[in-house]
Amino acid sequence: MIISNNVSLIYPDKTQALTDINLDIKPGELVYITGPSGSGKTSLLKLIMGMEYPTSGTLSVLGRQVNNSRAGNIRRIRRSIGPVFQEFKLIEGRTSLENVMMGMRFLGVKPKLMKDAANEALEEVGLGHKKMSKVENLSWGESQRVAIARAVARKPSLILADEPTGNLDYDNAINILGLLKSFRNENTTVIITTHATHLIKDEQNATFISVDKGRIAIERRYR
Amino acid sequence: MKSFLFNIGYFIKESGRVIKLNLLSNIFSVIGTGLILLLLGIVITGTNIGNRLVLMLNEEAEVNGYFSETLTSEQREDIATKINNMDGVRSTRIVDEDEAKTRMEDILGEEAKILELFDDNPFEAFVEIRINVDAMDSVIDNVKSTAGIEYVRDNRDVLEKIQDITYALKVLGYLMIAAVGITTFIILSHMIRQGIYNNKDQINTLKLLGSPSAFIGFPYVLTGVLLTLLGGIIAALSMVILINGAYDSMVGTIPFLPLPAREELIEQMTLWLPSLSLILGFFGSLFGLSSIREKS
Ligand SMILES: Nc1ncnc2c1ncn2[C@@H]1O[C@H](COP(=O)(O)OP(=O)(O)O)[C@@H](O)[C@H]1O
Ligand SMILES: [Mg+2]
Repeated sequence: MIISNNVSLIYPDKTQALTDINLDIKPGELVYITGPSGSGKTSLLKLIMGMEYPTSGTLSVLGRQVNNSRAGNIRRIRRSIGPVFQEFKLIEGRTSLENVMMGMRFLGVKPKLMKDAANEALEEVGLGHKKMSKVENLSWGESQRVAIARAVARKPSLILADEPTGNLDYDNAINILGLLKSFRNENTTVIITTHATHLIKDEQNATFISVDKGRIAIERRYR
Repeated sequence: MKSFLFNIGYFIKESGRVIKLNLLSNIFSVIGTGLILLLLGIVITGTNIGNRLVLMLNEEAEVNGYFSETLTSEQREDIATKINNMDGVRSTRIVDEDEAKTRMEDILGEEAKILELFDDNPFEAFVEIRINVDAMDSVIDNVKSTAGIEYVRDNRDVLEKIQDITYALKVLGYLMIAAVGITTFIILSHMIRQGIYNNKDQINTLKLLGSPSAFIGFPYVLTGVLLTLLGGIIAALSMVILINGAYDSMVGTIPFLPLPAREELIEQMTLWLPSLSLILGFFGSLFGLSSIREKS
């Protein structure tokens, strides 16, 4: 579902963020992208979401090429992705419920089903009681859960979470990772970046991509 | 399409939110659009009245062909018939010496006594030729070269002026429509740019979630259409007040002015100004949106 061949990404200011990335991620994989701050984790997610295009090499996501040929193509890829941005990108002035529904409005879902799915997702992340709260009044952790609910309510084929353990304490970090992992199934790939390797060192059923200075090493640990 | 139908309620709410977000500026846009459309309404109504006037004057457009003195009345009839068959001639009528005198007496009124100084009737018989103004030149030439016509008296100067005025009115009308169109476009695209700027975070997030541009843009088009329509309605109502005021104050004062029926003008304005504003609003908003192309 994600296939890349010798992908490199150089930002306009000549920063070489990624070098010779070769990936072949299959449906249903759980992928951890690890590496120190500034190593290129977010850049890799940006490529997958079409927020950046490969400077060289080819990248295909969910069967579509990621390049600057057509904006519509990138939007189609994104509709099958559930992104949890590091800074969440919730829409202020609206309730949690409205934010979650916002991710589904243009998917052709009937209003009733959309609302049900949004409510269900909010329950699932443990925020059912905050669905009518404006998102700017939520705590950091609650906002993160709304972002996760928005990502999963639309039933994506690929969930991307950028540094979800960010500044959480150990218990909460483990909880959030557990929540994100729970959405993985044979049709849903979950990709999580984190610089906190100690949180996942015991993971036995996942793919590990460690990024260092823009180059990757892949290790698959499956029982 | 499905998404569109499912989201009509959302779109309406969104556009209400967009309007409120920049309320003052949007109110000014509405007033601006209303004033411009009002101006257009005034020019269109003026053109309308002018055209009517010109039409009426055109119907009055005539040249007179004076007969040679020796002709019998049959010969005069023949000449009149011949002229009547020319292109650009609508009708002819023979005015004999006696009628010519009577007409002059009518014109002179009190002063008609002066005519009594003449022993004989000093007036000549002529054929009165109603013409199409457009064919004026050729008709005058043709009548001049007709045997039995001594000379032609025309009011070419007046007719040419009328033609000029008609032309100028038309040009003014078109210029006005173009000016209104362009101004509305500018106001609208400014309004939409502002709306988009105020919502850039939300729009960016929607893009990252894969929203089609049409879904993102539609509330802004709706906003543009609603606000322009509001301007159109304000302009139409102002026109109704203006027309009523003008007609009320003119009753009896200039009875010969060939004014169209008041109801007809009012109907025209209340139908056309809002419809036009709707069309301008739609295309202006699309234009405003398309002028903000950027990457996904
Ligand atoms: N938009 C950008 N323009 C220029 N350089 C960037 C940009 N985004 C990230 N970088 C640089 O690319 C490198 C990788 O960044 P990033 O992918 O954000 O790392 P990580 O997410 O692993 O911390 C860093 O050196 C960072 O400074
Ligand atoms: Mg990062």
